[in-house]
Amino acid sequence: MADKKKMSVAEILAAARSADGKGGAPPSAPQAAVESEPAQPAVEKPAAEKLAADKPKPAAKPAAGGARPSTADILAMARAKKEAGGEAAAKPAAAKPAAAPAAKPATAKPAAKPAAAVGAAKTGVQRDTASILAAARAGAKPGPVSKADAPTRPAPKPREAKPAEEKAAPPRTVATLPSKPLKPAKKGEEAEDRRGFLQIALGSAMAVGFSALAVTGGLFSLGLARFMFPNVLAEPPSKFKVGFKDAFPSGKVETKYVPQYGVWVVNGDFQGLQQIYALKTVCTHLGCTPSWLEAEQKFKCPCHGSGFYKDGVNFEGPAPRPLERYAIRVADDGQLEIDKSKTFQEELGQWADPDSYVTV
Amino acid sequence: MHSNGFFLKDVAGFLGGYYSCIAIMNGIAALILWRKKGQVGWALVWTALAIAMMVLASLALSASPGMVPALPASVRSLVNRLSGPMIYTLGTFALLAVLFVFRSFFVKPMVAWGILNAMLVLMGLSMADENFAAIVMKPDNVPIVGLVFLLAFFTWLATKQAVVNDDRIARGLPTVEKENDEKVLVWPDLVYTELICMVAVMAFLLVWAIFLPAPLEEPASSVKTPNPSKAPWYFLGLQEMLVYFDPWYAGVVLPSLVVFGLMAMPYLDFNKKGNGYYSIEERKFSYLTYQFGFFVLWITLIILGTFLRGPNWNFFGPFEYWTPYKVEVLNNVDLPQMFWVNLLDQPLPKAPAGASGLVQAGYVLLREAPGLLVMGAYLLLLPPLLAVTVFRGFFAKLGLVRYMVMANLMLLMLTLPIKMILRWTLNLKYIISIPEISLNF
Repeated sequence: MADKKKMSVAEILAAARSADGKGGAPPSAPQAAVESEPAQPAVEKPAAEKLAADKPKPAAKPAAGGARPSTADILAMARAKKEAGGEAAAKPAAAKPAAAPAAKPATAKPAAKPAAAVGAAKTGVQRDTASILAAARAGAKPGPVSKADAPTRPAPKPREAKPAEEKAAPPRTVATLPSKPLKPAKKGEEAEDRRGFLQIALGSAMAVGFSALAVTGGLFSLGLARFMFPNVLAEPPSKFKVGFKDAFPSGKVETKYVPQYGVWVVNGDFQGLQQIYALKTVCTHLGCTPSWLEAEQKFKCPCHGSGFYKDGVNFEGPAPRPLERYAIRVADDGQLEIDKSKTFQEELGQWADPDSYVTV
Repeated sequence: MHSNGFFLKDVAGFLGGYYSCIAIMNGIAALILWRKKGQVGWALVWTALAIAMMVLASLALSASPGMVPALPASVRSLVNRLSGPMIYTLGTFALLAVLFVFRSFFVKPMVAWGILNAMLVLMGLSMADENFAAIVMKPDNVPIVGLVFLLAFFTWLATKQAVVNDDRIARGLPTVEKENDEKVLVWPDLVYTELICMVAVMAFLLVWAIFLPAPLEEPASSVKTPNPSKAPWYFLGLQEMLVYFDPWYAGVVLPSLVVFGLMAMPYLDFNKKGNGYYSIEERKFSYLTYQFGFFVLWITLIILGTFLRGPNWNFFGPFEYWTPYKVEVLNNVDLPQMFWVNLLDQPLPKAPAGASGLVQAGYVLLREAPGLLVMGAYLLLLPPLLAVTVFRGFFAKLGLVRYMVMANLMLLMLTLPIKMILRWTLNLKYIISIPEISLNF
């Protein structure tokens, strides 16, 4: 029947085209399929039913009856099933290619239609690229090749070239399986050992690779972490002096320390107390630097429009809490000294801390 | 501030070319329609418009204050006075609703062409205003102008195909996509097209970069924030969201929800229609939800952030001068403040000094009780309520888990417009406000 040679891309395309009914003459491979005797369309179904009946159901029994089957058991049973199926499929293998074209005897579209018929008959899906390709291949070499085909061909036919051998061998397995579940299991164990070796070999290669990767990554991160501790740190000192108290008249917001230190020195009143305090120039919403608007007597953030009163309390925009204060004190020489290493937050009640202000 | 000779001389050349382009565009359109026959009336209309544009172009090239076509000052000041975030957002919402409801009218080619012309002419007239031109012609903002026109075009294109398909489906015909489902090969058709597009875009970007170079500014400083300080244009929607929420929500949760919501879509969508072809009628819910999220909550916010947010993130009308001294009287209040102080007329519950952590936590919970109850009801009571009323069909089709995911995604998406409107109307700052642990909602 169909020749066994692999189809070229051109042939597949040609087959697909002819399936659309627009292409020219069908190539040799699909033709071979058509040449086979057109059988009754009904043949296909009984064949499938027969397959189902021939399926070695008992293979599953021993597992269900006893304790939980081991992986080896399951593998062995699966294999036995496959062989039994193969044997059963040996017969339909001959009938199928004949049956398939018969489902749609219109010879103008010989290649794809069988598959379409097979697929559509069972699943009702439309013909897709996969099934067209499958049909093209089916013309050359019968066998389940696409998803659409699969439901109607439950059993693979691995060795259809030697049906005689298969017929002799598998029945023994099928017959003995229910009563002697151990025998095929042993067979499976052997096979598993061989694969197990492969797994270990592959697995260990992966293990070596990932271990090497982990070690390299770890060393690299350590190397990066070194950069967190530079030899020289160019930062302004966290403590600095801003002059004497009388440089800050009542109501004044001193902005000249913003560029270097990021701090406003304010002489204002907070809850009725006249204080000098140092406000951190970081918006409590997302960290932009607000600007002091003298005319409106407020700090206003350019990023999202948060506004703060002169005492640092938020009143407009999305800022959720007041600006923070830095520690401030009168140094021994009478100058005001700001310590940026310590901050005070109003919502935590820290503005009551005498370190956070200097009374005027 | 006001149109002066220097500004007009700068902008006159551009406007002359601009109006000439519109004229040429309409001339070509008229020519095509004329050749087609049967559309002679429209051909004449566009020819007339082209002539009018040529007149405008020559007027603009005169560069004298009285001659350059511009919007009357009264119209401009009226627009400035009317514009505000509330009107803007509700206006875009209403505009999109109108476009949606009357989509079969707006997708007509001649109507769309007329709208395009109107947009272009309106922009040209506005461009004669110094303040408008200063914002629109800023190199950073030019892409947003392009975005407005490109988005309008592509939305129109898709809507048109959907309207045509809906009409065909209603008449029992196959969709356009099904009727001409001609396929092309990836290689060479698609790959060559992509290659050509790639080269063309590259060339375009090079020319753009040469003629509208990126501005060089002073070195960055952590204590100096430009005013206004704007995110890259594609994040301006996020920046606008941040005005209404705490960073953890607007900057982390909501953007992640956008991503996760888009990822969840295939699992939530049970509607098998509209697969492989444009259709609005068959997937109204999905379409409206997406367009609302994309247009109202993303694109219009980008446009708002680009053109209408000025120094100190204040709202400015399109023809207003961006002064950093604009005073907007805002005094935002948290919900607990509203509830305890304004409504019940008693001070906020506050733990006595020196109370233990647990007692303080209890007082905080008591203080935030109204907000917590509101949010709890919104996120826990509303989904079941919707399931038995509006979303009954959805609940039946989706099942409990998928329905809850969908309902919560919807409700969280809606927190943004709800919060925006509450901010504008009630000056509500936060519904839940626990600054002690930086948790605000």
